[in-house]
Amino acid sequence: MAAISNISEASSAERRYLRWFLFLLLAPTIVLVLAVVAYPFFFNVVLSMSNMNIYHIHDWKVIGLQQYAAVFAEPRFWEVLFKTVVWTLVNIVFHVTIGVFLAVLLHQSFVRGRGAWRVLLILPWALPQYITALTWRGMFNSQFGAINLVLTKYMNMPAVDWLTSPFEAFAAAIMTNIWLGFPFMMVIALGGLQSIPAELYEAAEVDGASAWSQFRNITMPLLRPVMIPAITLGIVWTFNNINVIWLVTNGGEPNDQTHILVSFVYEAAFTAYRFGWAAALSMVIFAILFTFTQIFLKRTNAVEAAY
Amino acid sequence: MNSAVHPPARSASAVGLCVPDRVSDSVFAPARLFGFGFLLALVLVIAGCGDGSDVQYVTIWHQKTGGERAFFERVVDEYNATHSDHQIRTLYRETEELRNLFVIAAAGGKGPDLVFGPSDNVSILALTETIAPITEIIPDEFISRFTSEGIVSWKEKKWMLADQVGNHLMFVYNKDILPSAPQTLGEMVNMLDSVTVDLDGDGTIDRYGLTWNYTEPYFFIPFLTGFGGWMMDSEGNPTLDTPEMVAAVQYLLDLRDKYHLIPGSTDYDTAEAMFKTGRAAAIINGPWSWSGYESAGINYGLARLPFNEKTGYWLSPIYSAKGYSININTPEEKYPIVRSVVEYLTGPSMQTRMADELATIPVVESVLDSDAVRENQMLQLSLSQVESGRPMPTQPQLRQFWDGMRGPYQLIMNGAVSAEEGARLMQAEVEKRIRDAFL
Repeated sequence: MAAISNISEASSAERRYLRWFLFLLLAPTIVLVLAVVAYPFFFNVVLSMSNMNIYHIHDWKVIGLQQYAAVFAEPRFWEVLFKTVVWTLVNIVFHVTIGVFLAVLLHQSFVRGRGAWRVLLILPWALPQYITALTWRGMFNSQFGAINLVLTKYMNMPAVDWLTSPFEAFAAAIMTNIWLGFPFMMVIALGGLQSIPAELYEAAEVDGASAWSQFRNITMPLLRPVMIPAITLGIVWTFNNINVIWLVTNGGEPNDQTHILVSFVYEAAFTAYRFGWAAALSMVIFAILFTFTQIFLKRTNAVEAAY
Repeated sequence: MNSAVHPPARSASAVGLCVPDRVSDSVFAPARLFGFGFLLALVLVIAGCGDGSDVQYVTIWHQKTGGERAFFERVVDEYNATHSDHQIRTLYRETEELRNLFVIAAAGGKGPDLVFGPSDNVSILALTETIAPITEIIPDEFISRFTSEGIVSWKEKKWMLADQVGNHLMFVYNKDILPSAPQTLGEMVNMLDSVTVDLDGDGTIDRYGLTWNYTEPYFFIPFLTGFGGWMMDSEGNPTLDTPEMVAAVQYLLDLRDKYHLIPGSTDYDTAEAMFKTGRAAAIINGPWSWSGYESAGINYGLARLPFNEKTGYWLSPIYSAKGYSININTPEEKYPIVRSVVEYLTGPSMQTRMADELATIPVVESVLDSDAVRENQMLQLSLSQVESGRPMPTQPQLRQFWDGMRGPYQLIMNGAVSAEEGARLMQAEVEKRIRDAFL
């Protein structure tokens, strides 16, 4: 505060030049943000109210809210929205549950080689999603994939048509994304666990609290401020994660029944060239995520301090 | 009001911000700020100047794969080694991605100078005004050497100059497993049955008679034509909900579920891997793949797709030219070098080499009529398949056909709907997609 008051006491000429200098330092960032965030966003808003498609790629014009009406009139929109919600919820629940479970486990002093385990468990996250998704796609092949081989040869179960039946294909994509996503939550939870004072556990033990009671009354509440922002991020990322769903299901197969909203947008824009419609749908996605994150962060008091 | 000069204890410099007492000495002084800005601009200009050489580049986006891609890269290297003033730069993209990215880039005023792909791209690229007619750069004298299949036109303008015609599916068989190819569908079932075996006796088939990417509509078309059907009428309206479609799909289901001659599920890569590893005796695939079989050490033979003795139709694949189109944004000053590159890559000597090394069908009259081509048995077989094939439709709504057919077709193949219901769904889906494309 002293520094600030001293700066505020500098001469007006110095302050003016200081402001200029600060502006100069910030200018590249401002230009970059305007170019890669603000301009595309507002251009997308305009596109969403236009008739831009393959027949009007240069001579498009603004047609009002017709594309929004068309989005909500599309029968598949509601079905895909429902699948997107399921996709996001199931993934996040597993990401957080597995991530926190492994973090708590790795935080225990009796676990040997914790460093090695951490590296090993971070590997799914460290590998490029593209590679992992295609590897899983291969493993889900009904006749030659590793998963069905294990099911049929070692577990005496019938082979599953992972990639050719809608439900199974969607489940396959979810399993792949769970594999890819839990390390992030694990790393965040590990960081959170290390910041919890050991004295709290010692006091709880003196009071005779069970391990579950300690987890429920110490670990969970104190992890909360760390996990809530991570879960918020995870929800936004998963909601918009086109890579896994697109690569595992080969672009929504079978019969476009494994789309989530973002892959639905991609298909409309880049295979059907319905740019106006796709822009309108992407604005709807933005509105859903923006509203959700605001409500979620407010209701969970995510920004409140834990101690 | 503060004065211009402050006692040291009250100035910003006192808190470690290095603000001197006199503005003229300050780092914020106008002269220094301009100097800093100038230096920054200089750094950016230098960074943006590249190597500063006068070499011009002709960029090509292409979708050549396998042996064809290796050949392409080799001939590009040869060209670059003999031209110091300009060079070719290439970038591979998968077919669909190539078209999509090119449209987006070119519509935004960017993109490569040349784009190489199949002829069905032309109508979309021309419609979106992202390519220029080839006649703007390539002289008539050069174009006149090409066969009609080698020049792709749409709405009375020439948009693509091909280096080959084909892209057609053929029956490829492993001679070590299947000594000869079937002539009819009846013969095919018998022959494939004799080589489909459970080698280790565990109850699962270890080697199939035939495999191919049959889950993709493009690879299904020969069966549709073999049962007398086609995708669209002369106006471009879908003709998919037909008895011919039902019969063709049902035939594939029988091959898989009744005769067990093809794998239960597959995709392009799995089918390729099966054939290359001897786990399938035959495959239905196109010219882009053949050199890959040679590299994999497969003793392969080519044959026309069989004749359907019940309908009296040959199984006819779609064929199309593949060639180069010019980005509408290519600057005029680059026209001479772009022309030089196109003439090199599509000229008679290149097509002769391609025919010889890749077994592609040339589209330059003199090469097509040459002894080298006439005496090349593989090429003649390939040519006979093209002659009995169906040309790729050039309507821009073809994209809606492929995408609209794919889903219902896969539903039939995974048993979710009957062949009749699937055909009805295909028709409805394609009609919807064509309607939606105008929105």
